[in-house]
Amino acid sequence: MPGIPSDSSSLIPFALEGSSQPPPVYPLQHGLRAPIHRIHISWSRGNLLNVTCLRPPPDQQEEMAREDDEIGGKAVEVLLGGAILEGNIGEHKRRRIAYESVKSYAFLHDKKISLAKMETGDNLSAPALTYWWQYTLEYSKSIRDILGNARLHRPLIEDPKNFLKPEEVEQPIGTKAAWELMEIFYVDMQLLSWLPERLVDWLEGYDSLLSKTETVHSKLAILQRKVTSMRVVEDEPGYWNGLAAALAVGWLDVVAKLLRLHGSYDPDQFDKRETENGLVEAVVLLVSEMPRMRPNLPNGKLGICYQTKHDYIKGLEKWRVKVSGLESSPFWVHCNHRPTRDGLINLLHILLGDAKHIADATSHWLELFISHLLYIRPLTNGLEGMGNLAEKCMNLKPSANNGLTSLLAGILSENPEIVLADCLKAFGPWIVAHAVDLLTANSEYTDGLLNEERYQLGGASIGELYMLVYAQALASHPLTWQVAPAYLSTCLNQGRGLLEILLLRQPVQNYRVVLKTLEICHLYELGNISTHIMKMAGMYQWKHGHKGLGIYWFQQSRDKTRLSQIAHKLFDNIGKSLSDDSFKQWEGLMELLGSDVGIAGGLEFLHKYREFKRSLQQIVNGGTVEAAKKSTELLVQLMRNPSTPQRFWLPLLLDSVKLLEWRSGPLLGVSETNLLLGKLQELSMAKLRPDFHGGELKPNALGDVRLALAKNLGRAILEES
Amino acid sequence: MADSGDRRRFIYNLHEQSKPVGAVRWLPSVSPFLRLAAMSVLSPPAIEIHSFSSQSPNPNPDLNLVSSYPLPSSATSLTSFKSHNYTLIAASTSTGSLHIFSVNPYDGKIESQIISISDKDSFHCGPIQSIDVETSSTGECATAGEDGRVNLVLIGEDKVENFRVCESDGLVAYSAVKWGSPVEFVTGGVGPGLQWWDKRRPGGPVAQFKGVWGRGTVTGMIHSIDIHPSRKHTCVVGGSSGAVYAWDLRWQQQAITLAGTGLEAKSQPFSESEVWEVKYDAFTPQVSSTKVLPVMMCSEDGFLAVLQQDERPVQLLEEPCAINSFDIDPQNPSDVIVALEWESVGILSRGREETEMA
Repeated sequence: MPGIPSDSSSLIPFALEGSSQPPPVYPLQHGLRAPIHRIHISWSRGNLLNVTCLRPPPDQQEEMAREDDEIGGKAVEVLLGGAILEGNIGEHKRRRIAYESVKSYAFLHDKKISLAKMETGDNLSAPALTYWWQYTLEYSKSIRDILGNARLHRPLIEDPKNFLKPEEVEQPIGTKAAWELMEIFYVDMQLLSWLPERLVDWLEGYDSLLSKTETVHSKLAILQRKVTSMRVVEDEPGYWNGLAAALAVGWLDVVAKLLRLHGSYDPDQFDKRETENGLVEAVVLLVSEMPRMRPNLPNGKLGICYQTKHDYIKGLEKWRVKVSGLESSPFWVHCNHRPTRDGLINLLHILLGDAKHIADATSHWLELFISHLLYIRPLTNGLEGMGNLAEKCMNLKPSANNGLTSLLAGILSENPEIVLADCLKAFGPWIVAHAVDLLTANSEYTDGLLNEERYQLGGASIGELYMLVYAQALASHPLTWQVAPAYLSTCLNQGRGLLEILLLRQPVQNYRVVLKTLEICHLYELGNISTHIMKMAGMYQWKHGHKGLGIYWFQQSRDKTRLSQIAHKLFDNIGKSLSDDSFKQWEGLMELLGSDVGIAGGLEFLHKYREFKRSLQQIVNGGTVEAAKKSTELLVQLMRNPSTPQRFWLPLLLDSVKLLEWRSGPLLGVSETNLLLGKLQELSMAKLRPDFHGGELKPNALGDVRLALAKNLGRAILEES
Repeated sequence: MADSGDRRRFIYNLHEQSKPVGAVRWLPSVSPFLRLAAMSVLSPPAIEIHSFSSQSPNPNPDLNLVSSYPLPSSATSLTSFKSHNYTLIAASTSTGSLHIFSVNPYDGKIESQIISISDKDSFHCGPIQSIDVETSSTGECATAGEDGRVNLVLIGEDKVENFRVCESDGLVAYSAVKWGSPVEFVTGGVGPGLQWWDKRRPGGPVAQFKGVWGRGTVTGMIHSIDIHPSRKHTCVVGGSSGAVYAWDLRWQQQAITLAGTGLEAKSQPFSESEVWEVKYDAFTPQVSSTKVLPVMMCSEDGFLAVLQQDERPVQLLEEPCAINSFDIDPQNPSDVIVALEWESVGILSRGREETEMA
C-alpha cells in the first residue's frame, strides 16, 4: 500500500476493546477528497481485497457549479499478508522463484508418493528413509540454486590491494541464507561432524546480512575503500582492527592478503625492517597453517584440513605450541614499530583463543559465537552445547536480532515450530512452505509434530497450514495462481476445497483462460468443477451476445435445462417464418448443434427444421418422388418430436401443403395423416387460449392445411384399401 | 509415447522476461548477425521488438528490447510479414482493434503506424481472435472474431478499406483464420468444423468441413490453422484435446488425424490438452510426397513436437508450463522461438554441431 497516511483520507480499522496490542493501522491511498460516503469491501482472488470508496452523491446545484474533474469514487486493491518472499526482492524475481521452485517441490512429492507405494507398513523402512533423505538433499540443493547462484566477476588481473572478495553480481538474499542454515542443520547429515566449520563458511557468505553497520564485513568494507589511499597502512588503527576482526571469524585468506600489505614488505624499507617483516611473515605462516576440522577447503582458502578428531587434536596441539612459541619469542623486543608489535600480538592472542581479545575483535553476537567455535571450543557438537554457547554470546554482545539470528537461535533451541514461525515473519510464506520437508527429513519427532492432524486447525496439520498460506499468497496474483494447485493438491484436509474455490474464482471472459482453468480441473480430476466453470462461461458469453460460444459451453457442460431455455429465446429470434436467407446466418450454429456428440437440448429442433427446409427447397426446384418421400419423413419426425415448439406446427404444415398435394399419389399413409390431423386439432383448440402465439400467417392458413390433409387422407384410404 | 528428439544436437536458451508473453514471431532479418523477434506482452499490453546476436561467442546471447508499440488492450493475435521491402507487424487485441505498423529491418526500431482500426459497429465488437495477412498479391488482412464477424482489411496506398465478409450476430464464434490463396481463406471456431471462404462468392462459406473430434467422444475448439503455400488444398488444424488433423479440400469427408484422441485406439494420445498453435515445419525432411508435410505443434501441457503422418511424434521440448505460442523462422527453419507461460521466451536451434553445446 503505497503513499503517506493523511489524517483526512486514511481508513482506520475498528479497534477491538481489551486487546493488549494496538491493532496495526494500514493507511490506504485512494486519492479522494473527504468526506467518504461509503466503503465497499469484498474479497478478490487469494488474499487480495477490493476496497471501493465512494464520495457522497453530488447535489444538483453543486453538480452545476463544480468542475468535472472530481471523481465520484475509486476502487483499490489491497494485498493482505504481504509478500511471498522477503521485501527486498523484486516482484518478478519472486514470481520466478515461485515458478522454479514448484518443479522441485512437485518432483520431491512424486518421489514421496512412489516411496510410500513401495512400502507396506505405515512407517518407511531404513533403505526407503535413506532414499528419502537423498531426495530431500537434492531438493534442498535445487532450491538453493533457484535462490541465486553466487556468480562472481573475477577480474583478470587481481589487484593486491583488493582483499575482500569482489562484490557479487546479486547481493546475497536473506531467504537464501535462511535456507542454507536450515539445510546445514536439518538435511546435510554428512556435515554434522564439521558443523562449526560449516557455520564459518555460512557466515562468510552472509555476514553482511546480519546488520548494516556493525559487522566484520562492514568494517572490512570501510577498510577496503580506505586502503587504496593509505600510504602507511600499519600506522592506521583501522588496519589492525580489520585484521583482528577478519581473523576472529576465520577469514584467513583475507588476513593473509591484508598482512602482506604491511609496509615492511616494501623493497625500499626491507633492509631497515628485516625483523619486523620476519614477524609479520611468521604470523602469515601460522595463520595459513591453522588446523581445521573439515574434509576439504575450497580454492584460495587457507588452513590444513583434518578428517578425524584424533588427527585434528594432535595437529591443533602442535600448532598451538608454535603460536605460543612465537608469542614468547625474543624477537618482539627488536620490533621498533609499536602498532605492528601490538597488532601482531593481538592476532596471536586470537589464534590462541583468548576470550577477551576475541570479544573485542567481533561486533555481532553471531560473529562472537563463530569465533568461539573456531578458537575456543572447536569440538563443540550437538545442538545443546551450541545453544548454550549462543546464549552466552548473546549476553556478552547484545545486538539487535533480525530474522536470520532469531532463526539460528530457534534452530539451536530445537523447536521447529518457532523456526517456522520466525521464518514466516522474516521471509514470508514461500520459505516456510518449502522448508517443512527439510525440517522433517531426518527427525521423526518433527515429522510427527508438523504433520499431525490437529483438531483446532480444522483437521489440518501445521505443515499443511503453512502450505495453505503460501498457496493463498500465490493465488492472489493473476500470474502465479496456476502454481498454487500443485501445493493445494498436497494438502490432504483443506487443499481440495480451497483448490475448488480457487478454480471457480477464475475469470471466464476469455475462453483461452477458461480452457487453461479446465486443464487444471482435468489434471486434478475435478469434473464437477469444470462443469460449473463451463456453465459460468456459457452464461457470460450468452449474456454478452456471443450466442454460439455460449451454446458451446452449455453443450460441453451437458446443461440441458439451460439449453432448452435458450432454445425458446432463439425461436423468438427466428420469428414466425424462417426465410431461406435468414438461415444462412444460422448456418454456423446449426453445424455446432448438428455435431453428434454435443447435446443440443431443445435446440435439436433447429437442426432438424433446417434439414426439412433444405429438402423442401430441392422439391420446389423440381424433385423426384424419393426426395419428396424423404421430406415427408422429416416432416413426420418433426411433428412427432416433443421438442418441436407448438408455434412451429402451423408454419411446418403450411410449408408441406405441396407435399400433401403431390400429383403422383399420396405420400403420407393413413396413420401419419391422422397424426397430423390430430396436431391440427390440438392447434385449433389452443388457438382459443389467450396466451396463444399465432404469428403472422394468413388467416385462412388453418383451413388450407385442413383441406389438404383431408384430401390426402381420402387418397391414402383409397390407396391402402 | 513420443520419441524424445536427439537433444544433443539442439541448443536451447531460455530468456526470462519479467512480464507475461503471449505470442512470438520472428521478423525478417537483413543481417545474419542480428536477429529480430516480435512478442506480445502484457502489463502494460504492447508489442515488443527484441534483438539478439546469433553469431556472438557467448553461447547464451541475451535478448535486448529494441522498441515497443503500446496497445489499448491485450494482444490476441500477432503476425509479421514483408511488403514492398517493409517489415510490417500486425496485431489484434481483445477489445476488437487491429494495428499494423512498420519496423526498421536493420535495427528493429518502430518506424510508422500504418493502420489502427477500432470500431464496434463497422469492425469488430469483442475480441478479434485471429488475423492473417495475404502477402503474395493483395496484402489483405483477414480478421476473425469471437463476435462472429469476419472482416477483410485492404491496406491500400493511401487509404484503408474494410469489408465485412460475414456477420453472424454472435451465433458463431471464430477463433482462427488463414489465407489459402489470394482469394480464398479458411476459418475455424467453436466446434470441430472448418469453413472455406471465397472472396468471389460472397454470402457464405463455399465449403464446410464437418470434423469428427476424437472418435466422436468430445467436441472442441480450433485454435490454429496453417496452409502450406505449395499445397493450398490442405489445411492443418490444431485444437482441443490434443487434436491436430489435416483436411484436404479434395476429400472433404475424411480428415487425416496427426495427433490427438482421434488416432487409432492402439496408439496413446501424445498430448491431451489444448494445441495452441500448429505450423508446417520446413526443417524436418518429408518422408513421402503423398503424405501430409511435417507439422510442428505446441500445447498447454508444455510440449513442442513435430508430427508426421503415420509416424511417432518427435518431441522437441517438454516444459513444466504451457507453451502458448511458437514461430519457425522462415529464413532459417532450424530456429524456433517459443513463448512460455511462466514469463519467458525460449530459442531453440536445431541441427547444429555437438561441440557448440558447450
